Amino acid sequence: MNELKNELKKCIQCGTCTASCFSGRVTALNMRKIVMDYLSNERSVDVHDEIWFCLSCYACQERCPRGIKLTEIILKARQRITRKKGLPGRLSLALNSLKKFGALVVAKEEHVKMRKSLGLPLYHAQFDEKARKEIEKLVEKYSEGVLI
Amino acid sequence: MKFFPGCMIHNRYFGIEKSIYYIFEKLEEDIEPLYNFSCCPAPGITKSISDKLWFEIAKRNLNLSDDDIITACNGCFTTLSEVGSTMGREVRHVIEYLYTDKIKEIKRKIAKRIPLRVAVHYGCHFFRPSIHKKFVSSEKPKILDKLVKVIGSESVDYRYKFMCCGGGGGVRASSLEVARELLEMKLRGIKERNVDAIVVICPLCLHQFDVGQKELNQLGKRYEIPTIHYVQLLAIAMGMDIEESGIDMHEITPPQFMEKLIRGESFEEL
Ligand code: SF4
Ligand code: SF4
Repeated sequence: MNELKNELKKCIQCGTCTASCFSGRVTALNMRKIVMDYLSNERSVDVHDEIWFCLSCYACQERCPRGIKLTEIILKARQRITRKKGLPGRLSLALNSLKKFGALVVAKEEHVKMRKSLGLPLYHAQFDEKARKEIEKLVEKYSEGVLI
Repeated sequence: MKFFPGCMIHNRYFGIEKSIYYIFEKLEEDIEPLYNFSCCPAPGITKSISDKLWFEIAKRNLNLSDDDIITACNGCFTTLSEVGSTMGREVRHVIEYLYTDKIKEIKRKIAKRIPLRVAVHYGCHFFRPSIHKKFVSSEKPKILDKLVKVIGSESVDYRYKFMCCGGGGGVRASSLEVARELLEMKLRGIKERNVDAIVVICPLCLHQFDVGQKELNQLGKRYEIPTIHYVQLLAIAMGMDIEESGIDMHEITPPQFMEKLIRGESFEEL
């Protein structure tokens, strides 16, 4: 947290981050203000639920003249939120599917058929029990109790 | 080299994979599937939970083989190249590979030129964060514009060319309306330039553009701009049958577009 604080202290409120943010044009996401809120009110980045609208496009981080790692800071703040409140929307389904199948997007029967019709092998972990178990263990070990 | 398709290509956009094998065969380069791979894992979602989770699953994937790994998805590329760099492993995006190592050879292997007007879309994680992507500009990449030219197509500039497709960071899964609004911002800019197709280099961008337009259709908003991964286009230009490319499995496939792909150069001569 202290490291983060020092990083954010470098901000000169130039607004380059907000100007670079396409998500902010259609949502409440405004990085300059979020940083400001931290500097003047000590309100941590993770109190701002609108960080879930971040596309993780890295435009703000690349352009910040003070080299503040904004996208990484958003992702870290999301980690603190998920530990408290879990994942929003369909993201928790995605995590469960990662645990069960080793896949965020799972092949259904129709997709298996289509792969076969193109002469392609099935080699995703989803189709191998040992591999699936390995991933399940990793998700259990490292998902910080976020799983429902 | 081992091919790492990721969930989206292995489980949905198989035509991309088929096209890559075809291209490598024509280039006389070896490529094999990376057996028992799992989700890379997707950076936006897993890094919202724990860095360790993201790192360890990626490490397992990288340890499945000692060979260099090649991928055709920007998400897989970002995850595997970042984690790979801490293990001294080389991970390449097929577009970077084709451009850096093979552009001259591709020119010689084109069987039919495909004269389309296209809008290219890079997708954020192909060129950012720049610390792991030194081969490309972090503001205005040109690699893909040059690659489409090789097959006889014209890349036209459009409003918001370097903007995100709108689906990244888990936004498509967590807030579909936001993803849709951003998609429309992109589509409006593209529509103005009257193109035949959108050319992408990532299956998630492909999904956002293609399935996203189908969803917009249901809301009465019609754009009807087909989306295609560059390797599908290249494989067709090298002589692969359209059916093998999987394009007919995409949602938005206007007949004029399919016809242009089939006819290639002869289309202009008519
Ligand atoms: S771009 Fe950097 S310095 Fe400028 S307001 Fe944003 S965080 Fe502050
Ligand atoms: S990384 Fe997130 S906050 Fe930064 S510009 Fe992109 S969408 Fe906006």
